[in-house]
Amino acid sequence: MASIHPPPKKDDDREDDSEYSPFYGIEKGAVLQEARVFNDPQLDARRCAQVITKLLYLINQGETFTKTEETEVFFAVTKLFQSKEVGLRRMVYLMIKEIAPSSDEVIIVTSSLMKDMNSKTDLYRANSIRVLCRITDGGLLGQIERYLKQAVVDKNPVVSSAALVSGIHLLQTNPDIVKRWSNEVQEAVQSKASLVQFHALALLHQIRQNDRLAVSKLVTSLTRGSVRSPLAQCLLIRYTSQVIKESATNTQTGDRPFYDYLEGCLRHKTDMVTLEAARAVTELSGVTSRELTPAITVLQLFLSSSKPVLRFAAVRTLNKVAMTHPLAVTNCNIDMESLISDQNRSIATLAITTLLKTGNESSVDRLMKQITNFMSDIADEFKIVVVEAIRSLCLKFPQKYRTLMNFLSSILREEGGFDYKKAIVDSILILIKEIPDAKESGLVHLCEFIEDCEFTYLSTQILHLLGLEGPKTSDPSKYIRYIYNRVILENATVRASAVTALAKFGLTIDALRPRVLVLLRRCFYDNDDEVRDRATLYVETLAEDDILKQLKNSLFGDLDVPLANLEASLQSYNASEIPFDLSTVSRELKPEQSVEKKAPTSKKAGKDFGTMVATNGALPSGTSAPDTYEKLLSSIPEFLGFGKLFKSSAPVELTEAETEYSVNAIKHVYLRHVIFQFNCTNTIAEQLLEKVSVVIDSSDAEDFEEVFSKHVESLPYNVPGQAFVAFRKPEGVCSVGKFSNTLKFHVNEVDPTTGEKEDEGYEDEYQLEDLEVTAPDYIVKVGVSNFKNAWEALDPEFERVNEYGLGVRENLQDTFQAVVTILGMQPCEGTDVLASNARSHTSLLAGEFIGDIQVLVRLSLGIDAQKQVAMKLAVRAEDQSVSDAIHEIIANA
Amino acid sequence: MLMSVLFANSSGNVLLERFHSVPGEERLHWRSFLVKLGTDNLNGARDDELFVASHKSVYIVYTVIGDIWVFTVGKDEYDELTLVEVLHAITSSVKDICKKAPSERVFLDKYGKVCLGLDEIFSQGILEHTDKDRVRRLTRLRPLVE
Repeated sequence: MASIHPPPKKDDDREDDSEYSPFYGIEKGAVLQEARVFNDPQLDARRCAQVITKLLYLINQGETFTKTEETEVFFAVTKLFQSKEVGLRRMVYLMIKEIAPSSDEVIIVTSSLMKDMNSKTDLYRANSIRVLCRITDGGLLGQIERYLKQAVVDKNPVVSSAALVSGIHLLQTNPDIVKRWSNEVQEAVQSKASLVQFHALALLHQIRQNDRLAVSKLVTSLTRGSVRSPLAQCLLIRYTSQVIKESATNTQTGDRPFYDYLEGCLRHKTDMVTLEAARAVTELSGVTSRELTPAITVLQLFLSSSKPVLRFAAVRTLNKVAMTHPLAVTNCNIDMESLISDQNRSIATLAITTLLKTGNESSVDRLMKQITNFMSDIADEFKIVVVEAIRSLCLKFPQKYRTLMNFLSSILREEGGFDYKKAIVDSILILIKEIPDAKESGLVHLCEFIEDCEFTYLSTQILHLLGLEGPKTSDPSKYIRYIYNRVILENATVRASAVTALAKFGLTIDALRPRVLVLLRRCFYDNDDEVRDRATLYVETLAEDDILKQLKNSLFGDLDVPLANLEASLQSYNASEIPFDLSTVSRELKPEQSVEKKAPTSKKAGKDFGTMVATNGALPSGTSAPDTYEKLLSSIPEFLGFGKLFKSSAPVELTEAETEYSVNAIKHVYLRHVIFQFNCTNTIAEQLLEKVSVVIDSSDAEDFEEVFSKHVESLPYNVPGQAFVAFRKPEGVCSVGKFSNTLKFHVNEVDPTTGEKEDEGYEDEYQLEDLEVTAPDYIVKVGVSNFKNAWEALDPEFERVNEYGLGVRENLQDTFQAVVTILGMQPCEGTDVLASNARSHTSLLAGEFIGDIQVLVRLSLGIDAQKQVAMKLAVRAEDQSVSDAIHEIIANA
Repeated sequence: MLMSVLFANSSGNVLLERFHSVPGEERLHWRSFLVKLGTDNLNGARDDELFVASHKSVYIVYTVIGDIWVFTVGKDEYDELTLVEVLHAITSSVKDICKKAPSERVFLDKYGKVCLGLDEIFSQGILEHTDKDRVRRLTRLRPLVE
């Protein structure tokens, strides 16, 4: 390409980059003017190519063209098809792709491109295929499909590749057309040209990816034959590993299909193929150490490669293997240690985190020394990864907490951004929580950190922890100085936290109280209201013993209710003579979403608070369902004697969608009662319903005795109302039953415009779906923070274990969710997360059975190659009958 | 998917870039991320010395030829190993077009040819041709030598 501006003389000042650029001073308007040369009758091919280059440069610099400008350039460029100059023609192809004309403009250029597509010159054909496939829509593709199919099997590899690559793109937009090329693509897979084979294999796999059998056949035939291109070989390895995942191991011989092929690839002469095969072997599900060893050996060799990419690929793979098979990677530790000083920081970080996963207890000290040198010259993002790995290591080897805690504290003192510091502080907090011996040294490290901490969030978090844990240590007084320093030196938020922390020391330790009071009194003159208010509150209460006891509870006692529920209850509490009662706050964990999904927007929500809940479940923002239900139910005098509401179910639809009357029901469970709340909506504009009640036949629910029924006086069009029916049930029994329901009402025809009654009306009834009370209605989700402790605190006598065969299931994830839904319990400690291809899973579930009976479940699921799912359920509860009840729930599900 | 190919000069100014399946608002982040990688690692690097990095599930393989930094960014099947192939195809073609490891001036002088070369090497995020001799012939619309 010739230069656009004359090149500068050799003695030009080359330091000035802008002068130096041949595009110096380039301006869109001027280039568009220059583009008029495309219209010249006598085309100057060289000049036209120069202008196209300038246009490309502008596009690459992010310059945008208006629609008109684009159209003008496009039309002008199409004129260049007249030129016989091949260099210019090649640029024209590129330029058309860059402009990407709109569908109504494409027609201008299609005839020229179709002509090129039938040209005897191979490269005209290849280029026109690429351009046409890029700019045309499905309609035109149908017309040129025949040519494209031919091109796929063209003897010229460039034409064939052009058609195949275009096919890969077109598969996204016009899959039906491309799928018809299957035979031709299959033929191209056998091509001798390596890149054609690569493209054909990629396209064929995409065409058949949803047909397991076809993919399996493809892999079977190709793994036997010779695939020339290393790129295609890598694709084949990936597809093979996918087929292996989906097929079963031969249970008699223990052989895995295609493993021999993968092992063979480990000896391939190309590094890329070898690494890909090693990676595939390490990712096999349930890989045995016999299968793993050759792959690890290959990866180990690459660790000392001179090429950074190979080292990176190997260490990245080993890092993953270390998560599942740390012992298998131990052999590579010496090579891995030498990578800590690798110039490439990504490689060094991966090496360190792998070593932290595979290292044994004796190597911790040596490793930490090496890491200390390394930490100073890596970016925060890498440091965070290392900190997280160190945290895991410390939890694995608690005896090494001194070394690891010292390391964390030393890096805490160094420079770093918020995320990095937060990662360190979080790690120290976790270690303090999990390793009792580490508590005191951890607290001291944190105290030192807040002396010079620039992040308010972290300072307040640490002060809170000091207030909680400091008084329980052997020498609480040493923390006071650190905390009080914050009162003197920090911003208002931190000062307020420090005041609270100080007060907690005063509350807990009598000997320190007088001194704490002196310090708190000094805060009376603080600039900030909050700090002064807190100081005043604490000084007043610390001075009086009886208030002190109460305050002690509110500051230290576990509230035992979810904070969100407490907040909502406090918001709905009206200041009055009656003090707020913490025991009325629901302990059930709120679902993340609103109770009901179906909230038809067309229906006008009633103004009444309760009505809104009852009808559509469209809850006012900030109000939780349990709290709102409680408020609604407590407004009905007959229900006041029922005690505390234990659980409200999600609404159950009792009518089909789009029927005349829409009714759903909510089950409110109390210790000795169950209330059914029927949310009724009249969807006929010409009718007014009166005296609307639900008549229940409870003959299939023997334990239940109806005690009260409340009807809706009037149900105008689209204004919802609620009817209630209450039943008594035996206390402490998990009573279940089925209830048949009929909606009874008086119908009046009305004038929809005025709402006036037009006649006397008549009695009518409407059959509703049945409603069931089942065992999960007696369980609420109440999580526990430390499952192991909670489990061990329950009497093993009341443990009930049983195994269940769940039959053939699609995958473990859905099965797990179904079981959790049936039980209605809360997964704890993140055990609700399953890998999509998990073969087994253990989850910890917690809940509370009616009557405040804690119940815990260890749920183990496994799926075999035939997709048969087996489940083991171990239940412990405070009452043996509850453990049995949980098993009954599963047995009857 | 080959997400991006980006050329910059040694001061970090972008000279040529191609993005595929990267939304406009993310491109700015990628530009500054890549240029920072270059500033941190490529000053003083040898020609064709390969560097590798990863960012979440995305891989970056990059190098310097003459005064020009070249970055390739990929994900899924375009992992670090495939990116090496892509980068090698690009750098060998650019050196072929510029007759040597290019200075910025030479690179800009051959800008049009470089664009054509890239158009042959990859198409909308898919590697198409890797051999520099073939790429040279294709950019000139000359038939392949059997």
